[in-house]
Parts: sequence; C-alpha cells; structure tokens
Amino acid sequence: MSLTRERMRADIAALIHEAPEEIGGDDNLIDLGLDSMRAMNLLVAWSKTGLELDFSEFAERLTLDAWWAIVRRCQEDAARRGGVQGGA
Amino acid sequence: MSALLPAPMAATRPDPRPLTEAPLTEAPLAEAPLTEAQAGLWYAQALDAANPIFNTGQYLDLRGPLDAGAFREAVDGMVAEADSLALRIADTGGGPAQWVEESRRPWLEVIDLSSDAAPEQAALDAMARDMATPVDPARQALAAERLYRLGPARHLWYQRVHHLAVDAFGTDLLVRRVAGLYAARLGQGVAGPPLAPLGIALDEDAAYRAAPRRATDAAYWRDAFAGSTEVVGLAPGHAMTGRWAQRHSLPLGAGLSDALREAGATHGLPWPDLLAALVGAYIRRHAGGEEAVLGVAFMGRLGSPAARVPCTLMNVLPLRLKPDEAAPLGTCFAEAGRQLLRGRRHGRYRGEQLRRDLGRVGAGRRLHGALLNLLPFDSLPAFPGLEASQHVLGTGPVDDITLTFRGQPDATALRLEIEANPALYSAADIAAHATRLAHFCEAALRAGRLADVPTATPDETRWLLHDLNATNHPVPDTTLAALMAATMAATPQAPALAFGDTVLTYAALDARSAALAAALRARGAGPGAIVAVALERSIDLVVALVAVLRAGAAYLPLDPGHPEARIARILDRARPVLALSARALPGGVPVLAPGDWPLEGAAPADGPAPGDAAYVLYTSGSTGEPKGVVVEHRAIVNRLEWMRCHYGFGPQDRILQKTPATFDVSVWEFFLSFVSGGTLVVAPPGAHKDPVALAALLRDQRITTAHFVPSMLATFLAEPGARGLSLARVFCSGEELTAELRDRFHALVKAGLHNLYGPTEAAVDVSFWPASATDRSHPVPIGRPVWNTRLYVLDEAGRPVPPGVAGHLFIAGVQLARGYLGRPDLTEAAFIPDPFRPGERMYRTGDLARIRADGAIVYLGRSDHQVKIRGQRIEPGEIEAALAGFPGLRQVRVIAREDRAGDKRLVAYVVPGEDHDAAALRAYAAARLPDAMVPAAFVTMGALPVNSSGKLDRGALPAPDYAASRGRAPAAGTEQRLAALFAGVLGLPEVGAEDDFFALGGHSLLAVDLMRRVREAWGGDLGLGALFGHPSVARLAAMLDGETGNIPGGDSGLGPLVRLQQGDDALPPLFVVHPAGGISWCYGGLARALAPRRTVYGLQAPALDPAIAAPDSLDALAAGYVDRAMAATPHATFHLAGWSVGGILAHAMAVRLRALGQRVGVLAMLDSYPSDVWRAEPEPDENAPLRALLAIAGYDPDRLPDLELTRATVVDFLRRGDSPLGGLPDAALDGVVRVVQGNNRLVRAHRHGRYDGTVTHFRAALDHAGRDLSPAMWQPYAARVAVIDIPALHANLTGLAATALIAPLLGQLLADARNEERP
Repeated sequence: MSLTRERMRADIAALIHEAPEEIGGDDNLIDLGLDSMRAMNLLVAWSKTGLELDFSEFAERLTLDAWWAIVRRCQEDAARRGGVQGGA
Repeated sequence: MSALLPAPMAATRPDPRPLTEAPLTEAPLAEAPLTEAQAGLWYAQALDAANPIFNTGQYLDLRGPLDAGAFREAVDGMVAEADSLALRIADTGGGPAQWVEESRRPWLEVIDLSSDAAPEQAALDAMARDMATPVDPARQALAAERLYRLGPARHLWYQRVHHLAVDAFGTDLLVRRVAGLYAARLGQGVAGPPLAPLGIALDEDAAYRAAPRRATDAAYWRDAFAGSTEVVGLAPGHAMTGRWAQRHSLPLGAGLSDALREAGATHGLPWPDLLAALVGAYIRRHAGGEEAVLGVAFMGRLGSPAARVPCTLMNVLPLRLKPDEAAPLGTCFAEAGRQLLRGRRHGRYRGEQLRRDLGRVGAGRRLHGALLNLLPFDSLPAFPGLEASQHVLGTGPVDDITLTFRGQPDATALRLEIEANPALYSAADIAAHATRLAHFCEAALRAGRLADVPTATPDETRWLLHDLNATNHPVPDTTLAALMAATMAATPQAPALAFGDTVLTYAALDARSAALAAALRARGAGPGAIVAVALERSIDLVVALVAVLRAGAAYLPLDPGHPEARIARILDRARPVLALSARALPGGVPVLAPGDWPLEGAAPADGPAPGDAAYVLYTSGSTGEPKGVVVEHRAIVNRLEWMRCHYGFGPQDRILQKTPATFDVSVWEFFLSFVSGGTLVVAPPGAHKDPVALAALLRDQRITTAHFVPSMLATFLAEPGARGLSLARVFCSGEELTAELRDRFHALVKAGLHNLYGPTEAAVDVSFWPASATDRSHPVPIGRPVWNTRLYVLDEAGRPVPPGVAGHLFIAGVQLARGYLGRPDLTEAAFIPDPFRPGERMYRTGDLARIRADGAIVYLGRSDHQVKIRGQRIEPGEIEAALAGFPGLRQVRVIAREDRAGDKRLVAYVVPGEDHDAAALRAYAAARLPDAMVPAAFVTMGALPVNSSGKLDRGALPAPDYAASRGRAPAAGTEQRLAALFAGVLGLPEVGAEDDFFALGGHSLLAVDLMRRVREAWGGDLGLGALFGHPSVARLAAMLDGETGNIPGGDSGLGPLVRLQQGDDALPPLFVVHPAGGISWCYGGLARALAPRRTVYGLQAPALDPAIAAPDSLDALAAGYVDRAMAATPHATFHLAGWSVGGILAHAMAVRLRALGQRVGVLAMLDSYPSDVWRAEPEPDENAPLRALLAIAGYDPDRLPDLELTRATVVDFLRRGDSPLGGLPDAALDGVVRVVQGNNRLVRAHRHGRYDGTVTHFRAALDHAGRDLSPAMWQPYAARVAVIDIPALHANLTGLAATALIAPLLGQLLADARNEERP
C-alpha cells in the first residue's frame, strides 16, 4: 500500500495527540511538538512501504508539505526505477 | 536582523573550498548583537573572567593510518565555513556584540609528539592545560583545533571552543563536517552540504524575539509554573557553577536497553520520554517534596535552516514531574511524554527569560534542579580507514548536575554521563548516582509501579541496614543496681560524691543508700513499683536515686519547681508507691522526707532483674498529656557500659552532675561515675543556669567531664571565666551542635568535645560523634550507633534512603524503652515492628536525618511540630491542651517562632470567646506548665488563619509584638541605660520602665546575656539571681543604683569606688585606678579574667560629680584614694594597678601607703610614663578633652574627621551611639570633660615620690614609635622596674586581646605577692 499525504498527516497527528485536520501543510512540525525521535520513527515506519528515505533531507524542513514533496519524489524515483527494470 | 555583508569571504589560508559541494553564498558576519542564548553566557563569563569552565572541548582518538594532508584540508575546510569559531565578542559600549575576525580562525595546528616517551599522556596534559585556561572573548580566539600525532597510526584530534560559539549539537555538526570532507578528500564518500552561515541562526533568533509567538510561549510557561515551589536539587547547597566539573561515565547494560525497548513498545513512547519520567521519579525520591523539576536540554533548531549552523542555540526547558508512585507506570510515562510534547511546542522561549519572568533570579532561586540531556542519535561519523572514539573534556558551566543519556534510536549502546558541580557533589557521589540511577531505571521498568521500586541499590541497602549497624558487642546481662553495688564493694574508701564541701566515700554512699533501700522495700518499693523523687540537687537526691534502684523499684523524678498541677497529673498517672520529697506532694502519695531516712539497714538481697524498669521519665506529649517513658535496667546498662568503655572512664574521673533529674541526660551524669569508680560532683541547685558559677565549679572541682546543651554551651563560652578551661571531655546533646560552636569551643577550651544523640525512648543516647578540633564536618553529624543499636533512615514507604538523602530516623536494639507507662496505644504507635529484624521493635523518632557517604548520620530537624527550647523537648500540643482549659478561650495554637536567628520562642495564638481575661491567661499557663513550656507571647486574634486545605496557615501567623509596653517611660539615667540593654537583648525597639524582662519574651539564656551586658556597662557583678528578683527595668535599676553607689544626678556607676568583681574574701583586693577620663569601667574585663577570682575595686574621680571641687594636687587626689581603699578592705596588703594616668596615680598611692606603713603587694602600670615627660609637651589644645571623651567611649577620634569637636556635637554623637557613656546624664558627661582637663593639669604639676618596691610595667610594645618613652624613666622613683611587653597599642591595653595576655600575668604576680605576705 503506497504512502499517501493523508496517512502521513494521520500518523503525525497521532504522535502529537492532535486531530489530523489540526496539522496544516505549512506548519512547522517541531512547533507542534514533534521531536527528532518521533520524526525518525515515522520515517522508519514509512520506509516499510518500500521507499528509501534520507533522514537528513527530512530534517531540513519539517512541514507536512515539504515531507510530502520528498515522499512524492522518492515514489516517482522508485516508479521510474521500477519502470526501467521492468522494461529491461 | 543580522547584518550580512555581500562581500566575498576573506581567508588567510589556501582556500579549501574546492572540497565543498557548493560555494559559500554568505559572507562572514559583521557586527551583530548576541543571541538570547549567548547573552546569558557572556554575562556569566564577564562576571567571572578567570573561569575556564566556559571552554567546551573534546578529542577524537583516531586509530589507523591517517592521511595527514587530507585531514588538515578537512579541518581547515570546516574552519573556513564555521564563522562562529572566528568570532570576537566584546562590549562595544551599547552592550556585547559579536563579529567575525579572520585572524581568529582556528586553522589546524599539528603537534608531533611521536618522539615523546609518553606521547598520549603529553597530549592529554596539554589538552588539560588548555581547557583550564580561561578565554577572554574580547581578546582571545574562542576556538582551537589541534592534531596531536602520537605515532604513525595514532592521532588525537583536539577541539576546544568557547561555549559562546558552539553548543553540543554545534560540536557534533563540526565533527560530521570534518568527517564528510575527509572522506570526500579520500574519494570515499560525498562531503555533503556545507555548514550553514551563522547569520541564519542570528536572523532566526532576532525574528523570534520580535514574533507574537514569543508572548504566547511566555504565557504557556508562566501557566505551567503556576503554584510551583522552591526547586530542591539532588544535593543541598548553592547551585552556581564552579571552575570545573566532576565527570563520570557509565555504560548501561543490555538489560536496561531491553527494558526500555519493551516499555517503549508497551506505552507507545520513545525511550527518551521514558527516561525523563524515571529520572524525575528518581530525583523526587532524593530531593523530597511533591514534585521534581528537571531541566531538559532542547537543541532548538531542528526543522529550521539553523539546524546546520554550528553555534549556541541550546535551550533548557523545565519539566515539572509529580509522579504518583502508586499509579501504574504507564500513567507516569504518559504524563512526562505529554509535558515534553507541549514543552517542545513552546521550546524556543529561553529558559533564562522564563527565570526572569518568574522572578527566580539569584542565589537559590532557580528554575530547575538536575539537567537532563537525552541524545538518541549518538554516533560518530565514519572516518574512512580509521577507528574513531570520542572523549568529551567539557561541555560548559554545570550549575548542579547534568545527566546525559546517549544511545541509538533503538535504545542500544546506552551510556550515562554525569557532570556535576564539585562544590555540591564529590566524585564518589556522582559515581554512586550513576550506578543507583541505572539500577532504579531498570528496576522501575520491570515493576508495575514506582511504589515497588527501592531507591538504594542492593549493595547500598546491605551497607545501610547491616554494615553500618554491625554494633553487636557483649554486655553483661545485669542491672544498674548490681553494677553500682560492685563498685561500692570494690573501692569503699574512694570518694564517690562531692557536693560543696561535703564528700561521701563509696562506703558512705553504700551505707546510706542501702539503709534507705531497706526502708523503701519495707514500704512496698520493689521490682515493678515506682518511687517518685522530688528533691533539689543535693547529696540526698543522689542517695535517693541509688536507693530506689537498689530496692528494685523504678525512680520517677519530679522537679520540685514545676507547677503543682503538672506534678499532680503525673503522680495521678504513674501511681508511685511513695515519694522521696522534702515536702508534701499533691494527691496524697505517702512521702518519706530526707530527715526521716534511716542511716542503717541492709539493701534487699533480691535486687532488680535486667528486665525490670529502672526509671520513668515524663516527656512532653503532643496529645496534651505528658508521656512516661519506662526504661529497663538492661537498656541503661548497655548505654552506660558503652560510654564507660568507649571513652575510658575510670576512678580518676570527676563527672559534673548539673542536669535536672527530669531530663534524661541526668541519667548518665548520675550513674556513669558509680559504675566507673570515679567521683560525682553535684552542682548546687540553680548553678546549671549560671555560667560564672559553672566556670568556677569546673575549675575549682577539677571536673573531667561535663555535659552542656549546645545553647547553654554557647552562653557558657561567652563567659570570660570559661576561657582557658581544661578538662578531659565535654558532651553535647539535646540540640544541634553547630560547626561554628564546635570551633568556638576548641578555640576557648581545651577538652574533647563529643556530640551525642538520642531520645528518652532509647536510654538517653544512641549515637555519638567526636566533634574534635580537627573535625571539619559541617554540619556536625550525630554520628554512628552505640553498642547493640541499629539506626535506620527510611523514606515515607519504609525503604532505606541512599546516603545523602533525607529520611526518617528509626532506632532499634537493646536500648529501646519498654514503652509509655499506662499508654499501650501510644507505645504501639511509636514502637513498631522492625521490618529488617523480624520479632524485634523499632522506635520512630520523628527526627529527620541523612547518612553521609562515610556512614555518619546528620540530624536535619523534626518531621512534626515538636520543638526544642533550650534543649528541652516540647510538644506544642501539650501546651495547647493545657491552655484549652482556660475559661473563655475559643481556640488556641502554639508554635515555636525564630524571628531572630538562634532565638526560638514559643508563641500562643488565641481566639478569645466571651469573658476572656487575657492577663490571667499567662498566669494560668505558668501555673500548669514548666517554665520552658510557658509561651513567651500570647497573640490575640479574631480567627486563626487557615490555608485552602483548611489547615492552620502557619506562615500567616503574625510575629508577636513583644513591645506591648504600657506604663511609664524609663527615667533618665540608670533606667534609660538599662531599658536600652533590655531592648537590645530582647530585640525590641523600646522597653518601658515597668516592663518585666520575662514577660517580654526573655528566657534564662537571654537573661545571662543581659546580665553580662549589665556587668560590662556598670562593672558590678549582680549575678543572675538579681534579675529574677528584680525583673523590671525600674526594679533592676533601683537595685543597681543601690549596689554601686550614687552620685547626684540620679546616675550610677560613677561613684568614687565601684566593685568590678566580687571574689574570694580571703584574698586582698586589687584596686585599679581610672585613666584620664576618671571612670574605671574599662577594667571590667581584666577584673573578671583574673584567676583565682579576686575582688577588684575601681577608683573613680570624685570630680565626676560637678558638686565636688577639683583636687589641688595629684598627691592630694591619691591620698583620698588611699583613704577610700583602706576603708574598703580589712586586708593589710594593697594591690594597685592603673592604665595611663591611672598608673601615675597608683604610684602616688603606693608612695602614700608606704608612708602610712601599709604593705603594697603589686604595683602594676599599664603603659604609664612619669609626669616629667608630659611637662615637656606643649599644652594640649582645647579639643583634647573632647577627643579624650570619644576615646574613652571607644571611638577613635582620628576616624571621625567629620565630627565637629564641640561639646554639643560630641555629646550628641555619644547619645546616638551604643557606648555606655552615651547613657550618662549631661552633668556626668560634663564631669568627664572636666576630669580630663583637671588630670592634665594635675599630672603636669606632679612631682613623684620614691616607692621602695617594684613597679611592674606592662608596656604597649606596638606603640610610641618615634617617641622617647621608656619604662626605665620610672627608675628614679622605684626600687626596681620590671617590664613586660604586651604586643598592643596604648589605646587597646584594656581591650579583649590585651586583657587575655595581661590577666594571667597579673594573676600570677598577685598570687606570688600573697606568698610574700607570709615570709
């Protein structure tokens, strides 16, 4: 099952005891109470969907939108690689 | 807004930038203000410029083949990017500012130590020296980068940076950057993005300061701290950083890692949250109180561009934890996690600012105790080809204690690092904390709730419960009666007892006590019975106590001075079979008066058994009823045998018995001597309150051992007669012995000092501590348990508390009392099962204590409201109960107040009903309570203040207004002077003429203080009894005036002859002659310091009285003095002494006395010179008498340059000061001025006669530089001149220091002269 923005938002919200709709796309997640350990745990969980996520990339901008952009790019990369492999 | 220059970076080194992936787009920083994080550090460093603790530092141990060139380029590449390392920070006038100075960039220095014999040690030493060198941020580079080459395959990379430039996270960024650049240089990885410019962090800081969010954050924290109390640290003391920190590192085992992982999974929380909760619980266990407030380090830049800026941004967020130990552990974890989460949302708000917001600035007013640092991403980056390990050398200031947990996100590779302020923690302390905290965390994670977790480790528990209490020691299973009988039989002719001039041998004591014992037994006093003893201190009292014990009964001491109602109540409860008393007692108990005691008779053959009661002592009880503590022979035998052996008591000892028999201290005083074969010296009744009498007793009776309650010891040491005493041992108990008192004791008295502790419920004392002259303990411990005794310090849940932690003190062992007479309920509540020794009991003392690392116990205070007033244990509840019976009283509460340090007084707060007679209440109390229990003040209130929980709000009770003075103001003269002394001693603004010293809150120790001041001011020694007989200002003044003579004007102490000291009538008195001012009060100290005590009279100028004409000549004046002296004493020998002019007068008196055929013993001069010297001097100016007046009053005229020298201003000045002269009426001050002038005239005109004896001249050896003054100038006027140099100035010869030197010498001279009297 591929990672969606809504699942990311729900996962983050659960960790900081907030409703998902409370998390705006541009909110700084640290300002909402997220810490590096929890952020890291999120990435570990999300990696299990088959993505290679680099923590340092996520650490620079901690907003849902920024993270979603990275995830989208990784998903596209994976899809491309998958496509190349599939075509070989 | 930071100012960023759009100019290219100027580097002084070959540009290392080709290594970086992206060119730097930002330029070095121009002048910018400090961040909030930096500002606090800058001020702290500026305040303590020599403190090197602001250096942070570490080194990486790099093992393997290092590419030195690549490494240099990597470090220099990092240095080129990290502007904070090149900062200069200085005060530019408008506050501190920072800017980059290229010359300060710490390019790598390489130091080759490979040829050194011990290269590693040399490198570590060099780092230690560098770390210990303080850095001035204005003048010196903030950072250094050094590579020590130890050998081809071993390098130490040392990095030292001032904390103003980086924090721990910043340091980590620097290391990662170097590792990245090194790997890239070797072609084994990518360097990654460059460090971000400092300006980004500064901009963020400035933006936050201006943002509305800052106000929201401030409000959050203020709310979060509502109702918080004073923060208590893990260790008591002042939390302010030192110059270095203790460090300790402990790898944590897999057990804890596993437990954290499991609990993390169970509770859905990461391990840092779990540890925060557990550390909070650990600290609360140690610090006590309801909550622990930790500081949690917050790196404060994650998720922002500043995340890649090496700088100082770290913040500390307070975490208030109030763990409910009984709740499931998950509750505590969730609460900690919730608080941490909310804290992070407001985590940019500076802790320093919050501290200011909450007014917690300054010593002891801090925001949090221990600092917690949780680092779940602790790993070193890889250096290709090298094995690297990190060694932290310093992380900046450590106020209290910093607990750092490092590990991996999965809780593996955990390590606990502790840094601590060495002023608060020893190396052993922090090592113990590391081990204990690790134990605690693991045990807690495996337990369901905190309540089930011990605080101490298993090793500590064993040490606390068993090792420290390994006091087993064989003691014969016998009785006090048998031990005493054995001594009587062994040394019948040895002196057993001395009272005044009476001495009883052991044979006589045996006979008298045996006869009385027989009579007692005949009246039913045997084992199991109680005999009341109500006698003043005397031979009879001692015989009575011994006899009761020999009869097999238990004695019940009663103070004949106690109120009848209290005695009646005790007799009613204790039901003694009879009483030994000189008078009838209430309740119809049969009385056997000393006059009716038989002188012959044999002690009953069947004495008591070890399990029989030996005595019953009544102590104050909180329920309002005094409690009778029943102590058995076995218990007191253990106590006495321990003391005898431990301190080596034997026949040579003379123990002073001065404690009233109703206090348990008296038990060893009475009987220790009789089990050791020594002599018991019984002090006269009342002497225990009189320092002068005690000092004489100790000296004259050659006492080897005496006991003092510490407050009485302090009073005793203030008595000049106590100084220089020498005895074997002094014991203290009953109150806290302070370190200051211990040190004062050893400075003044030569004796061993021993601190003992114990309640009446455990046979007097259960612990001991040698408070020797070399003991530096502060506070002084109560020490370690005596034989066969166990002491436990337990927390609320009955768990042993670790060393250093406050807990409740419990006593177990052979010395425990049987219980409270007739009160099984109270007995059961206080004597509870010993959980560590099934089948035995332990006693709950109600005292708080802690155990030092060496095992010694320190007393901390009471856990309840019990107080000690002058060593006596008092339950306010008992006083309340007694007062409650007063008609018309609705409510009453009694508390002990200490409104002046060291002066604890009982205050009753009463809410009157109808028909309340306030005046009668004090009399009612005095009729029912012993002196020490009668409140010093009664405060009438409309209602008692209560707090929100309905309990008495003790803090809201007003301090009593002791100065509720009615009646007339003191009259000028003696009354005014005396009223000023009353006020000073009592701490009151003013005192009326009719005010009673004791009614104003005065107690016996204050009375001693007052009478010492009276003595100093008037010279006369009235004795303490005078105050008890004349307790009001008016009455004591009348007595003083009658005692010391009177001159017109209504003043006293100015008569021509004053007695400065009353001494042995068998010794001829010493006459001391006034100096220039005509008053001889200045000799008071000398008079009292003479040993043996000798009567000393002061001769004073008759012309102080304006009605008396000035004398014609000095010889005429001296002749008058001789007449007065001869009238004052029947002795045929006259001893004379005088200071300055007084010496000239004393010489003239000696000449006159010899002419009259009288004998002169000693003629002593304190730095006097013949009149020939003064004739040659120019006439003194007209101000000289005023200057002399100031000098006499104790002021140095040269130090009062602004004081206009007119009679009016000088008199006014003296009136405002605290000199006794200031209290003199105008006429008397005029008299002094007149006498000074007259004496000048008399001296200049005087022609000395020749004295045919020896002048002893105490020369002020520090004075007279440049003047041709010599004692030899007296040679024409004496048969011989003996000179004794005193290292003092002329003006100070009657001061304390000089008196201490002169008094023994003069005393010896006087004693020798007495021998000469009988050739």
